[in-house]
Amino acid sequence: MSVTEYDVIIIGAGVAGLTAGAFLAGRGFKVALVTAGEPTACLSTGCIDVCSRDHNPLTGIKELPSAHPFHLVPEKIIRESLNHFQAAMTEMGIPYTGALEENRLVLSALGTFKTSCLVPSTMQAAPQDARDIIHIISFAGLKDFYPSYIISRLKNTGVSVYDAGVSSTMSIASQFEEEEFLESFIVWLQGQNIDEDKIAFPAVLGLESADKIAKAIATRIGKPVFEIPTIPPSMPGRRLFNALKDYFRKKGGEIYWGWPVIGVEKSGKVIEAVMTASKGRPNSLNGKAIILATGSFVGGGLSATREAIVENIFNLPVHVPGPRETWFDNDYFSFNHGIGRAGIKVDSSLRPEGTQWENIFVCGGILADTEILKSGCGHGLALATAHAAAKSCMEYIR
Amino acid sequence: MIKTDVIVIGGGATGCGIARDLALRGIPHCLIEKGDFAAGATGACHGLLHSGGRYVVTDPIAAKECYDENLILRRIAEKCVEQTGGLFVRLPGDSKRFREMFLRGCEDISIPTEVISSTKALDLVPNLNPDIEEAIKVPDCSIDPFRLCMLNIRTSQLRGGMIFIRHKVTEIVRSHGRCVGIKATDQATGEVREIRGNVIVNATGAWADMIASLAGCEVPMTLDKGSLVITNHRLTNMVINRLRPPSDGDIVVPNEAVCLAGTTSMAVTDPDNIKIESTEVDTITSEVGRMIPHFNNTRIIRAFSGVRPLLKSKKMDSREISRGFQIIDHQNGMYSIVGGKLTTFRLMAEKMVDAIMASFNLKKACETAEIPLEGQGELSGYPLSKRLADMKDIVCECELVNRKEVERIIKQTGTHNVGDIQHRTRLGMGPCQGGFCTFRALGIMNDMSVISPEQSMDMLRGFLQRRFRGIRYALWGDQLREEQLVEYIYLGILAMEKPK
Repeated sequence: MSVTEYDVIIIGAGVAGLTAGAFLAGRGFKVALVTAGEPTACLSTGCIDVCSRDHNPLTGIKELPSAHPFHLVPEKIIRESLNHFQAAMTEMGIPYTGALEENRLVLSALGTFKTSCLVPSTMQAAPQDARDIIHIISFAGLKDFYPSYIISRLKNTGVSVYDAGVSSTMSIASQFEEEEFLESFIVWLQGQNIDEDKIAFPAVLGLESADKIAKAIATRIGKPVFEIPTIPPSMPGRRLFNALKDYFRKKGGEIYWGWPVIGVEKSGKVIEAVMTASKGRPNSLNGKAIILATGSFVGGGLSATREAIVENIFNLPVHVPGPRETWFDNDYFSFNHGIGRAGIKVDSSLRPEGTQWENIFVCGGILADTEILKSGCGHGLALATAHAAAKSCMEYIR
Repeated sequence: MIKTDVIVIGGGATGCGIARDLALRGIPHCLIEKGDFAAGATGACHGLLHSGGRYVVTDPIAAKECYDENLILRRIAEKCVEQTGGLFVRLPGDSKRFREMFLRGCEDISIPTEVISSTKALDLVPNLNPDIEEAIKVPDCSIDPFRLCMLNIRTSQLRGGMIFIRHKVTEIVRSHGRCVGIKATDQATGEVREIRGNVIVNATGAWADMIASLAGCEVPMTLDKGSLVITNHRLTNMVINRLRPPSDGDIVVPNEAVCLAGTTSMAVTDPDNIKIESTEVDTITSEVGRMIPHFNNTRIIRAFSGVRPLLKSKKMDSREISRGFQIIDHQNGMYSIVGGKLTTFRLMAEKMVDAIMASFNLKKACETAEIPLEGQGELSGYPLSKRLADMKDIVCECELVNRKEVERIIKQTGTHNVGDIQHRTRLGMGPCQGGFCTFRALGIMNDMSVISPEQSMDMLRGFLQRRFRGIRYALWGDQLREEQLVEYIYLGILAMEKPK
């Protein structure tokens, strides 16, 4: 078995794990990040929701139930984490727009408005009310995007359909990275003589150069251009993940990709190492501290059996809303399903409650009482708690 | 006002079978259904074409009827039936005496059986519990009840039968004490249609007593709720039964990409208000898990219930009530047909139409057992692989339904209802339970302008709400995980609002 020594082992490659990792690696710690595979961030809209309950996310946070993990993070750290994120993403070529004092709206593929805080620059021009008249460009054969849903809300919307020769989200996006394709597309678009105020696209404008591509189209056509996030596979989610991953590596972090954790070595009050499966032989990664950022059910951090909910790596005690009958309401749209509160309860330094472990720090979607859909606090909570966990971890190691 | 000879109320297998039989005997008729075809017990069953084995010990007459019909349907409804074969497995501790009674019962009514060792059984179905004592092979099959109803109706339509779905019968028109017609309300427009006929057939299953009461009659029935669960893959290629007296969770039926397992049995009073209990799901899972251990780790994608319209009996346990059927002549121009099983629907229709022919003094004999169902030529047939031939523009990845097929159904039926597409193509019936493809199907309906953009939003909401009722009782493990993703997509990424 191969053994490698690190300062910190991060488990999970989502927004929380990569952010905590970059924070620590950037401060000179030797950081390893292990992940079983792609995170759920790839499935997301790429938008950073901080708290959508109020027009001002900070006010919204104050109104969250007292058990909400946002209350464990001082406002100063929330602000730092967002500022740092914006700077990092600009550095990586996918700038984000927005500010902590004011939520923005993003037009969804159903024509509704999704509230978020920081949004990719390609969504900056999205209408902020129903007054803008938009023209949608759809693509032949793209099966997860139907402009008619948007027309049901925004009546005067125009539509044109372009045949890109390919029909999946990913393949259209990769076509846009080709200069020749982009050029012939723009010529076609000029020929459409669009009257409406703004031009909307499903989010397929490139794999990583979306910011530049959207700007190029807007400049040549002379109208604002914006992307509408689509259901997975979601390009803005994938761009976010790639940028965070590259940023983490740039700061000196190391990623063990496709290495699920299969065991743990412990001694007294500390976890000494995690064992991971890899091709050929098991590996032991030794660390002084662990950051657990494995996400909730979709991410694979938690799993439910018929009787209980378990944490998959360390078998940490899971806060469960009640017996199985209480996990879900009858009303699908209640936004209040008990399962949304399941997760790991932590103390003010983000250590799991009810265990002896002093070197585990927990952040992101695996935390208890997040109620992510109801609170509208997805990636924003991940950024804030990642910074808080990384700080606690740093203090602990020193 | 529409005039016809026979008015059939109910679009389950029995009603559709009666319409076909009437059509083949040249009797003008009209069928009224309050929802879609196969919406009641027909569509809420295992989809098991019984060999009869299940009833040989408790109800030999019903067993014999099942076996005869099994042979007939395999012949006339080839594209609805998958000839899987079935096994009755005996677990350690299961009665040997029952096994003897079972084999003797099968022999008495000539159901072919073959006793095979556990090794041989495992060879046939590798997922079986290796601890089984032995298995008995019988000619059970899997049958698609939706397709079966559609094809029966097709014969009726080809011969001038008038079909009204989504029409609810609100009144039985009477004159001098005789039933002379019905009034039905179009559920979409609210328009009331009056239809006059000489005979009314009440083939409404669990709703039979309610319809009979509109004519001042009674149909004594016991309503028995049975719940089932669907797994996300095909754990067995054969029907698996437990070799013991009928009980909870002792049948598993493969059906295309999934398996259906059940059932439970519980008396209920109102067929419009039935609920699944978590304990039922647990019972089915653990009982079936004894026959197929892997079942315990398999994703349950949905749980649902149907109501068996059983004949009224003094027996306390509804499992002991005969699965036979009965025709009640109310002596006022109305007949009710109750009881029976999906497997025996054709026989029930034959007997019903025989009675009607006798009352009309007509002689033409039943031909439904000889003539294959019309329109099967156009169907792909059961093997999934055949549908892989046209992989372009797949709308439903679980069941491999492509856009062309969805468009064809929309054109053919002019439907405004996404459920109609599901019942006719299997769209949304696989592991994701329509989580991804219904959004697409409604988008396509919209592209074709059969519904308005506003309707597509409302329908999507309604669909998600109904879908959730079926799945919320089976949410744990990977299915819970997938459901959280679907919720995140609709309520997060697509920002659907709470309906007002």
